[in-house]
Amino acid sequence: MNQVLTSDREARLLKLRQMAQQVRFHVVDMVHHVQSGHIGGSLSAAEILTALYFDIMNIDPDNPKRPDRDRMLMSKGHACPVLYASLALRGFFPVEELRTLRQFESRLQGHPVIKTPGVDMTTGSLGIGFGVAVGMAMEAKLSGASYNVYALLGDGELNEGVVWEAASAAQKYRLDNLVAIIDRNNLQNDGVSDTIMPMEPIDRKFEAFNWEVRRINGHDMQQVLQTLEEARDFRGKPFCIVADTVKGKGVSFMENQRSWHGSPPNDEQYRQAVSEIQGALV
Amino acid sequence: MTTTALKKAAIPTRRAYSARMAEYGAIDSDFAVMDADIGYSTYSYLFGDKYPGRYFNMGIAEVNMFACAAGFAANGRTVIAGSYGVFITMRAVEVIRSFICYPNLNVKILSSHGGLTAAIDGVTHQATEDIATMSTIPNMKVLVPADPVAAGKLFDVSFTSPGPVFTRLMRDPYYEIYDDSASFVLGGSNTLREGSDITIVSYGDMVFQAVAAAEELARSGISAEVIDAYSIKPYDAETILQSIRKTGALLVAENHQRKNGLGYELGILSLREFPVPFDNLGLRDMFAESGDYYKLLEKYGLSSSWINKAATALVARKEQNNA
Ligand SMILES: Cc1ncc(C[n+]2csc(CCOP(=O)(O)OP(=O)(O)O)c2C)c(N)n1
Ligand SMILES: [Mg+2]
Repeated sequence: MNQVLTSDREARLLKLRQMAQQVRFHVVDMVHHVQSGHIGGSLSAAEILTALYFDIMNIDPDNPKRPDRDRMLMSKGHACPVLYASLALRGFFPVEELRTLRQFESRLQGHPVIKTPGVDMTTGSLGIGFGVAVGMAMEAKLSGASYNVYALLGDGELNEGVVWEAASAAQKYRLDNLVAIIDRNNLQNDGVSDTIMPMEPIDRKFEAFNWEVRRINGHDMQQVLQTLEEARDFRGKPFCIVADTVKGKGVSFMENQRSWHGSPPNDEQYRQAVSEIQGALV
Repeated sequence: MTTTALKKAAIPTRRAYSARMAEYGAIDSDFAVMDADIGYSTYSYLFGDKYPGRYFNMGIAEVNMFACAAGFAANGRTVIAGSYGVFITMRAVEVIRSFICYPNLNVKILSSHGGLTAAIDGVTHQATEDIATMSTIPNMKVLVPADPVAAGKLFDVSFTSPGPVFTRLMRDPYYEIYDDSASFVLGGSNTLREGSDITIVSYGDMVFQAVAAAEELARSGISAEVIDAYSIKPYDAETILQSIRKTGALLVAENHQRKNGLGYELGILSLREFPVPFDNLGLRDMFAESGDYYKLLEKYGLSSSWINKAATALVARKEQNNA
């Protein structure tokens, strides 16, 4: 019995790891194709979004606005390539549409908008998406709904004061239906986050705001999945996962480089990136 | 855009402004520069690399950045603070109003991604209400350079004009309008083309669209006067009134909401002083979307071909009135 359970879980993890690489492929592919978009912070969040969209969240691609679905706030909206890739692979819209990213009259706007199938809220101006997630979680409580609200924040995004206003409100109203995930890749637009605006200890800050906090390796699918499961079922307090990640993860020359925050790869770099991502699949 | 004799600009105005700011560091050794984690986008890093001791990256925290800028300025030190237009003129607007404009402090604002020049980034990054919010606040001055030369020179105008000054800049390079001999003053404008049938006033990226439209109009026998109203507040009422007294028609074209932009301001000026057939182009109370700048301007009614159409209609109206 136990044996079966373990191997079930192994199979689930294997599928998720493979899916995360597919998500990475599409991130690089769409940004290369349109020569615009934020690659680094998309690649750092591939495991987190894959686990959410392919395992943890209760969602229905055939009915994207189903009222009892779980919500996901892409508060770091610039990293929407990873969101769009996850949604397309999950069946919310055709994978071919990914190559229309940021283009005239595309549904895949430069920053997420609420009308795109699977996107729960318009974001792109940092900090505020988190407050919107708090509002959604409060409203869910008010209407007696039982779904969860997940929010993904960048570590640079934590610089915004409004993030901490939202964190306060979440503990006041004991929003145990709210899960914040911090993509702690230690880079933002202008450089290393610890230098631009030191925010550590991030975990202890959220603890001081009376949140339940876990700190994990955001690329270890086993840890990501297990912690998200715990967060999903946790009751009594809002839950924060500080995920230590690598910006540009999965493409060697993009890893930990400020320059890959918002610039696209050329053809040569694209070929190398794709071969690294596909190499990691086997 | 269809036809113009203009040369492609090599750099965007955001870069030209910051390049001059970096040069100015040698002229004035006191002023400080602040950015909110987009120094590589506003190009304020050009100053930061030369003068790290008076360059402050305040993180992604625009509200606090402007509060700190007010602190520096209240102590008597001029600050240039930069970010994108939407975050400056909407998120931080109360700080700018009550803590910078009300005490009339020397904070100079570098505001990138003006209008739909933020094209591909989408609506959250397109500052299309910035002129309205900034020019409504007492004591604030508002400048918009049309090209890199203007951006460098308007940096100096901004720096040497007392009190708060907001400068709207563009994300991408478009066309060269000026050579180095051009001059700029607070409250001034430049007449780029003289004409007798209609006055077209614009600013920023819309200047090259207006110049292109005027060339087209000339081919269909309409002589358009083109004015670059680079100083939006205060604006050059004298030149504009003189022009409409001569041409008898006024068109304002701006990459901004139609409401509460320069068009509203000049429409009222004309009503008050010298009513003429008038129209203004801008966003019609709507948000745009992501996409190529030229396609967006075409779709949302701001391109040179729309200027051409509107000018042609105004001239027809004027002739009807005169008949
Ligand atoms: C309010 C606001 N200010 C500035 C920006 C411009 N901007 C986009 S991404 C970014 C850096 C984000 O860093 P981080 O939150 O760490 O994201 P990641 O590293 O995951 O990409 C900045 C400053 C913005 N989108 N919103
Ligand atoms: Mg980061």
